[in-house]
Amino acid sequence: MESASTVTNMSRRVRIGLAVGLAAIVAGCAQDAPQDTWDPAGENAQMIQDLQWPVFAIAGVVGVIVLSVVAFVIVRFRDRGQAMPEQTHGKPALEIALTILPALILIGVAIPTVGTLMALNDTSDTECVVNVTGQQWWWEIDYPTQDGCGDGISAPIVTSGQMVIPTDTNVLVRGTSRDVIHSWWIPRLNGKRDMVPGRVHTVKLQADEPGIYAGQCTEFCGLSHANMRMEVIAMEPADFEAWKAKQLSDYQPPEPDTLAAAGESTFIAQCSRCHQVDGLEDADGEPVIARPDLQVYSGAAPNLSWFTTRNTFAGATWDLLIPECRAEVWDAPSDEVGQKYLEGVSPECLNSVDLREWLRNAPAKKPMYADPEQLEATDGLVRGMPNLALSEDQIDELVAYLLERQ
Amino acid sequence: MAIIERPAASPATTPEYVTPSASMGFLRRPVETTGWKSWAFTVDHKKIGIMYGVVAMLFFFVGGLEAVLIRAQLAQADGTILSADKYNQMFTMHATTMIFLFVMPMAAAFANYMIPLQIGARDVAFPRLNALSLWTFVFGGIFLNTSWILGGAADGGWFMYAPNSSVPFSPTNGVDFWVLGLLITGIASQVGAINLIVTVLNMRAPGMKLMRMPIFTWMAFVVQMLLLFAIPVITVALFLLMFQRNFGATFFSVEEGADPLLWQHLFWIFGHPEVYIIVLPAFGIISEVLPTFARKPLFGYPFVVFSGAAIGFVGFGVWAHHMFAAGLGPISVAVFSVATMAIAVPTGVKIINWTLTLWGGKLWFTTAMLFAIGLIVQFTIGGLSGVTHAVAPSDTQQTDTYYIVAHFHYVIFGGAVLGLFSGIYYWWPKIFGKLLNESWGRANFWFMIVGMNLTFGPMHIIGLQGQPRRMYVWTENRAGEGFFNLGFWNLVSSIGTVILAIGALLFLVNVWVSRKNPPAPADPWDARSLEWITTSPPKEHNFDRTPTVHALDEFFHRKYEDVGENGQHDYKKVATGEEVIAEEEAHADAHIHLPSPSYWPIVLALSMPILAYGVIYSTLLIVAGAAIAILALFGWALEPPTAPDDDFDPPSPDGGEPSKELVANV
Repeated sequence: MESASTVTNMSRRVRIGLAVGLAAIVAGCAQDAPQDTWDPAGENAQMIQDLQWPVFAIAGVVGVIVLSVVAFVIVRFRDRGQAMPEQTHGKPALEIALTILPALILIGVAIPTVGTLMALNDTSDTECVVNVTGQQWWWEIDYPTQDGCGDGISAPIVTSGQMVIPTDTNVLVRGTSRDVIHSWWIPRLNGKRDMVPGRVHTVKLQADEPGIYAGQCTEFCGLSHANMRMEVIAMEPADFEAWKAKQLSDYQPPEPDTLAAAGESTFIAQCSRCHQVDGLEDADGEPVIARPDLQVYSGAAPNLSWFTTRNTFAGATWDLLIPECRAEVWDAPSDEVGQKYLEGVSPECLNSVDLREWLRNAPAKKPMYADPEQLEATDGLVRGMPNLALSEDQIDELVAYLLERQ
Repeated sequence: MAIIERPAASPATTPEYVTPSASMGFLRRPVETTGWKSWAFTVDHKKIGIMYGVVAMLFFFVGGLEAVLIRAQLAQADGTILSADKYNQMFTMHATTMIFLFVMPMAAAFANYMIPLQIGARDVAFPRLNALSLWTFVFGGIFLNTSWILGGAADGGWFMYAPNSSVPFSPTNGVDFWVLGLLITGIASQVGAINLIVTVLNMRAPGMKLMRMPIFTWMAFVVQMLLLFAIPVITVALFLLMFQRNFGATFFSVEEGADPLLWQHLFWIFGHPEVYIIVLPAFGIISEVLPTFARKPLFGYPFVVFSGAAIGFVGFGVWAHHMFAAGLGPISVAVFSVATMAIAVPTGVKIINWTLTLWGGKLWFTTAMLFAIGLIVQFTIGGLSGVTHAVAPSDTQQTDTYYIVAHFHYVIFGGAVLGLFSGIYYWWPKIFGKLLNESWGRANFWFMIVGMNLTFGPMHIIGLQGQPRRMYVWTENRAGEGFFNLGFWNLVSSIGTVILAIGALLFLVNVWVSRKNPPAPADPWDARSLEWITTSPPKEHNFDRTPTVHALDEFFHRKYEDVGENGQHDYKKVATGEEVIAEEEAHADAHIHLPSPSYWPIVLALSMPILAYGVIYSTLLIVAGAAIAILALFGWALEPPTAPDDDFDPPSPDGGEPSKELVANV
């Protein structure tokens, strides 16, 4: 038989444990977690939150009631030498009532659930369409020509890792994958949607305020699933028009005899097999067209035309900005963030450490399948960027060239 | 069949036996009653149950080590303890090991050991098939784990989504080991399900109507029905994947027009019933433990039975709640969302029934009882977080984050595992004849409870604040600001793992220090159900006389009589457990027939990993494995019912414990 003091200790421990647990949950959250699902920044995430927190509250209340009853029972009915208890077999009326009650609560939850679900899937008010294509281990983002997205998009824009959208606009993301299943998730703007090869799925995005909204691929997609991130940058309509104009502007070759000009040649020789820079021409004036389908199993590589108008790279895994400059953009107040983002990456702000490591040996920095000895399963094609064995001089040239892609 | 000699008290007579007229040389039955051969070739459900439990416990520690490595990696940002490749193998194998090689077999251990005892039978319906289940599980589990040293373990996650599971994206043999290993262990479960269903339906003692069966047997029976219909679905999925990877099929090749969602549907049609397969045995166990230590019957036995059956049935209709973000379209999602809310009702009913069992009781806090109450508390938390995922729009935020990891660990660890440990402490004296130490048991319990809450509690926060699952690193950039940011909670969770691991090791300590305990009484807990009307441990033939059952909680009613008047109840003890058992012994059956041991189940089981290695490495091995399988099936079909007379040892000269096998001319 258990001694009374051990039981009291136990129930006291239970109560202390519960209290500590609750306090921890309430006080113990991260501030400004970039992917906080309880910090909605757009109407879709808000709809989910409006449905979610009452359900959590109900669950919390039910939990507290049940656990309190259990705590009460184990104290009140412990063996104190009483007689054998009444051998109750049950009380059907009570059991039926306690079955109907949760059923009623759940019906009450089900009705707004279905309503919110339908609202989240209603795409009739779309004002801007952006396509995403997941690939191991980066996101391609392209804007088809359309009348929406502000004043319209006159020619396709292809970028990667960062999706720029105007604020207060109903954006419809249409997505698929070139290889395995990925998932597009920008928590502060909406729930996630799987991006499945052979299918096209849609998810709505809408941001109330300018800002940078972080996301990650959330369907296990192999080796570097952890290194497949993205951001959505929302900016005021005027800033968005400026962004579009830049993305659609003509290619500006580097000044002759500069390091960047050498970089252009190096780029053509080393990078352009896979990476497209729109408007790039070779020494004979022929357009340089990338053919990643000949090198890469999934068939594509990020378009680098406007590389340094973005501020993350390699699947949005690393920043192009050093920490001080990054903070300037990411933590900028909402009336400045658009302009700060449009400034792009300056040479003083460039995170050359990570960028150079990447160029020096990409697979050593981010786990990928690019070892030429081990590509039998993919007919010799790589999954990810291979090690190009570039010299430091070549890297200097490429960095200079890439800095001008803005 | 083997014959048990009459107990010494009765006059000896020449026992009757059956022998075949002739048997081929190699088709003999083993006769050893001691030593390793008596375990390797046994068909006794009790020995099989013990072996299931020991091997499952071994895999618990294998899976636990995998978990410790995972949390060591995630204790800091950008961890370097495990490479991305190793980490992906680690989380895949942690889940696969824990689910398929620990929880399910441990539940099978209890089902095997306890169901015949609880229904008053001497063994299961198909004893050799039972042995086949055991050895198939053991060899399948070993086969699966040899992948670690044969080119790498599977690394596609325990639900192994297509097309990531195809060869271009998973080029090592790891996924093949996973597929074949699970096909092998699937045979164990499927065959075991058929066996136990027939046992429960056909072999109950006289008077044991279905609604007088002990509740553990009921829940285990529902589990077998779930397995019967769910295992074939994953078997199909695994065959499709095996053919995709090894024989050029294109079931999951998108470029040939396949839809990757096919895998997800097949997997989750199995996968959702699977989670009830995981948790219902634990529910059954605590439904026995709580009444025993509350000294009153299970509150609402019919409700618990019907809600268990309802969970089983409705459980086949909610699978796509694992696919709310997969792009099914709002109508499908709405249907499955509502169905998932519906299934919360019968599950919640059980919590109420257990709590009301305790209400008004006379609670005795043994270690088994602590674990059972722990289940009520922890499963309530896990179940409520589950209800929050049933709301499909919320789930699109929650799925694939650590919030889901928190949910399922609370229901699996806090539900299934705590329930299994409750059963271990409860039935240990019955199985091994000794009690486990209560002080070490309390330490085991508290370290596990504190450890599990420190490990999995913070995961609710981490997940809701945006950390996805299955990532070998997390980064400061996404961890938020402040002291209690995601980094802090990741560290707390990892520290919790250490405490949890200590708790698990304390169980082993308890087993070790308890090994020299004095023999346990036959009825240490003053229990209620039929399995306690046996010695501790039970004799090989379980019951000297098949008991006749007059009520639910038959054993309780034989010990206690209600002498109350005018609607008042007053229970008087009229017999001790030992006296009830002695009464049965005094009326022992004259002839008790037991099934004979056999070589063929373990031989047939051995053929399967050979076949499986053949699929991966060499057609020659496929031929060899198939040949052994065919040989084993012939042996199985043609072997005599029992060994010939002269194969048995003569009785010991001092007339001691009668030989368990046939003795000619007593």
